Amino acid sequence: MVKYHPDARFLTDYAAGSLPSSQALCVATHLHYCAGCRLRVGELTELGAELFMQQRPATIAAGEFDRLLKRVAAQPAAGVKPGPAANDHSVTILPRALYKLTNGNTERLKWQRVGRKFRYSSLNVGDSTRETTLLDIKAGGKVPQHRHQGDEITVIIKGSFSDQEGKYGVGDFIVRTRGEIHQPVASQDQDCLCLTTLDAPIVMSNWFMRFGMKLLNRRHSRPGKAA
Amino acid sequence: MHTGSRHSMDFDPDSQDSAELPEDRAQHWVACVQKVAEQQDTAAFRELFNHFSPMVKSFAYKVPSLDHPDTFAEELLQETMLKVWTKAASFDPKLASPSTWIFTIARNMRIDLLRKQARHVVNTVSLYQDDEDGEMDLEDIWFEDENSDVFNLLAQQRSRRQIHESLKHLPSEQTEVLAKFIWKTNPMPKSPLNCGCRLEP
Repeated sequence: MVKYHPDARFLTDYAAGSLPSSQALCVATHLHYCAGCRLRVGELTELGAELFMQQRPATIAAGEFDRLLKRVAAQPAAGVKPGPAANDHSVTILPRALYKLTNGNTERLKWQRVGRKFRYSSLNVGDSTRETTLLDIKAGGKVPQHRHQGDEITVIIKGSFSDQEGKYGVGDFIVRTRGEIHQPVASQDQDCLCLTTLDAPIVMSNWFMRFGMKLLNRRHSRPGKAA
Repeated sequence: MHTGSRHSMDFDPDSQDSAELPEDRAQHWVACVQKVAEQQDTAAFRELFNHFSPMVKSFAYKVPSLDHPDTFAEELLQETMLKVWTKAASFDPKLASPSTWIFTIARNMRIDLLRKQARHVVNTVSLYQDDEDGEMDLEDIWFEDENSDVFNLLAQQRSRRQIHESLKHLPSEQTEVLAKFIWKTNPMPKSPLNCGCRLEP
């Protein structure tokens, strides 16, 4: 049972195309698990389409269609896209974007390990202003404690974790704002895989390593570098 | 034919005072898309172009703080309509209305073009060495193919009708304001440190 959902603001911005790609990826991932939000996004998209059609029309210069036709002549109309239906939510265990990225197997990603129970993999969504990461937390393991500058969004893909605010399961869309400190712990009975994105001031790109060094009792610390 | 009044300020054939609903006209546009898909029919394509491209351009001009708005609007229009041509065969009228389909193509293309522009600005100072090849496909984040939930389609048509009815009573300036509000984008990044801030508090 998905309990935590993107709010109206997130859904509206997603449907309007105004959400940064990393946050949109989180919404899209949540939608994989939540028919209710898919319905809402559908309605918001209809609103967008209606507003689109009711705009004051812009003028189209003479010759624009002919320019377009020239480009069209250079390519035939494409056939129907093969493969599984775009939104066939039952087919893949992983949400579509992640399924495509990993070909269904998360081991294909490049993982960075921090301690025995935690590893992460950075994802490229074309947004260099944010960290977008897959977190793989072994049963009972913790995410290294951290602060973040802006909104942090986490969506659970497998397993569950809890923090001081509550317990979260598959599909849950969890937002933490700036200044909130929390330390999620994966449940004891299974590993937890989740997608997370946060604003990336330069210093934050090292927080995993910094706390990783702490966890490893400074086995890999460099001289003069405090953890 | 409506082409004569295409550019008049407040007239929109899809929301005229008659009882005609968007979905009645939609059948005509569905037929045009199908002719493009099945016969590469350029006359049908021209009809689609005449009807939808003023909206695509208007949508493009709503992006704030563009350096070259005319260039951007032209590019968005060309790329969107080109995609309409190449994806015509994958349009399924059972899943979405033609205007919703074209709107989502324009919406996604807008995101794509803005992302390309941002990449240009940021690349020289980027910490993350944005690898275009390794980048996630925008189509996997914003799906162009509509939901296959059947009940969803009926709900969509119902809500579209309700939205159409309620917007009909708003003066066009208000729908313009509403559209601008909904389509606000993040400001263009100047440096990796101060990008990506949401415009609202």
